[in-house]
Amino acid sequence: MTAPVAARRRPFLSRLADASEPWLYTAPALILIVAVMLVPLVLGISYAFRDIKLLNPFGGGFVGLRHFEALATDEAFRTALVNTLWWTGASVVFQFVFGLILALLLNQPFRGRAVAQALCFLPWAVPSFLTGLDWAWLFNPVIGPLPHWFVALGLMDTPQSILSDPDLAMWGPIIANVWWGIPFFAITLLAALQAIPKDLYEAAAIDGAGPIERFRSITLPFLAPTIAITILLRTVWISNFADLIVVMTNGGPADRTQIVASYIFTTAFRRLDFGYASAIALVLLVLLLAYSMLIVLLRQSLLKRG
Amino acid sequence: MAAIDITAARKSYGSVDVLHGVDLAIGDGEFVVLVGPSGCGKSTLLRMIAGLEEISSGEIAIGGRRVNDLPPKDRDIAMVFQSYALYPHMTVAQNMSYSLKLRRTPKERITAAITAAAGKLGLDELTERRPKALSGGQRQRVAMGRAIVRSPKAFLFDEPLSNLDARLREQMRVEIKRLHKDLGATSIYVTHDQIEAMTLADRIVAMNGGVVQQVGSPLDLYDRPANLFVAGFIGSPAMNMIPAVYRFADGAAVAEVEGGHRLPLAGPFPVPDGTTVVIGVRPEHVTVAAPGAGGRRADVSLVEPTGFGSILHLAPFGPPIKAFTLDRGLGRDGAAVDVTFDPARLHVFAAADGRRMDPAP
Repeated sequence: MTAPVAARRRPFLSRLADASEPWLYTAPALILIVAVMLVPLVLGISYAFRDIKLLNPFGGGFVGLRHFEALATDEAFRTALVNTLWWTGASVVFQFVFGLILALLLNQPFRGRAVAQALCFLPWAVPSFLTGLDWAWLFNPVIGPLPHWFVALGLMDTPQSILSDPDLAMWGPIIANVWWGIPFFAITLLAALQAIPKDLYEAAAIDGAGPIERFRSITLPFLAPTIAITILLRTVWISNFADLIVVMTNGGPADRTQIVASYIFTTAFRRLDFGYASAIALVLLVLLLAYSMLIVLLRQSLLKRG
Repeated sequence: MAAIDITAARKSYGSVDVLHGVDLAIGDGEFVVLVGPSGCGKSTLLRMIAGLEEISSGEIAIGGRRVNDLPPKDRDIAMVFQSYALYPHMTVAQNMSYSLKLRRTPKERITAAITAAAGKLGLDELTERRPKALSGGQRQRVAMGRAIVRSPKAFLFDEPLSNLDARLREQMRVEIKRLHKDLGATSIYVTHDQIEAMTLADRIVAMNGGVVQQVGSPLDLYDRPANLFVAGFIGSPAMNMIPAVYRFADGAAVAEVEGGHRLPLAGPFPVPDGTTVVIGVRPEHVTVAAPGAGGRRADVSLVEPTGFGSILHLAPFGPPIKAFTLDRGLGRDGAAVDVTFDPARLHVFAAADGRRMDPAP
């Protein structure tokens, strides 16, 4: 019980040095984080409550919740929200399913596997804008082959771009996104697959499990944590991912492919209304945070079980 | 329970042969140990019996039925892996019941089988735990439990004790032996540890380079090794190998070692005078005594006390040899001892092909 007494007697400067020591050590990292992450975030959030239009240099005043009130009745925003669900859901599901199939195939031993793996991961290296342009051209009936193939297959009456068909337009960017995003799932799932001990499959084979049962009772439980975290990442990523849509359809025709992210982009950089765009972004942020929390909780429970 | 017959079984990967035709008949209820250095093909042979490796040519039959083309699950065998291969996301009980569930065994039968197996292996308290929460020895037991609940035709063990520490290994060895006594199931056990092989086996199959070197009871292999490989592999400390030349003169067979020293041998051997041979003698058969007892005088260059006895490093005639003695008084560095050899305890191998030679009748 003598230690506190001794501490009280020490000079103020020495105690200050002791107390500030951990902060001084972490200061470089903290300053960096605050400067590049927190400041822009707070600034962005503050925009949501201010009237910031680039075309109105005398604006910038505090407007309270006016942007959010406008948002509540904004039909375009509601459409974009529904489209975002559609775009994100379809993209993630197809990317995951094809990525898993690809990973399972690449996990089998065969000749030239290394080359096949490298080739399969190639789309990931293609810049997203280039991907968008590529696919827009592929869907273009004048220079692209796809519409003609659709006609030949009897899926279409006359060769036309699905990007200009209001009912099908969303599938254009989704297909491009799936092509572009499969490697992400394939790489991460393949890594997880390769971490599963081979003995387990052999033990299961001797225990009497067929291929489907082995997949269900060994592969899936081992992959579950990876699946949860990759789906979380991709969902957040894709719902924020406007590149393909901006390049391929620019939200059209008639807002049928407008997602929240592309709506934010359009509002900010075409209509130059940064205040309103920030308000939309804030809503998207809250939605994605809620979603992330859910998945993190799910993953925790999965890991605890495993 | 069933007999296992292996006929001319070969395994090759591309142009590389790893098993060069193995013939082996394993009796019903027998405990056979496949032993050899790593890469000798013993694990491959076991995996071929299990159905985890294809059989390149030849035939394997379990219980009289050819199993070459049967998948593992239809061979009715159980296997214990070196890594235990427990399903990490299942409890002990689920691990043990997995195979029964897949075979659609009625629930009461499963519960009964698991209770019985858990009791036998001392796992009663642990059935609801996951493998992660078990020690190495407990995991080993669960792996065995998983095998015995099925009462399969045969048990296959692939170096099951290699991941355990020495004391636990000894303990589990006894348990495996007791379990085999209880169940009387045909068992094939792969190990590179010759002590495990000696203590567990009804019959040992010593393998090297994909070829069976000798099949026999543990004491058979110990007392009458068929060749230099088996002689050197079985027994610890290892057998002394002394290069020599066979001489037969005046009705007496001797081995002439380095420096012209002659060791008397038991009886004439069916080889011509002057044949180069290798004399094998186990350390415990090198008789050492205090100086003056007669025999060849040698200095002790090093002593390895084992507590039970001492291993003395000597060089009575050129090449270094080891002698094992229970007499601690002899085990002093630099002390001199008298060394003698009992002719009946000397093994004679042909230097040319390493094969054992027996005295002509």
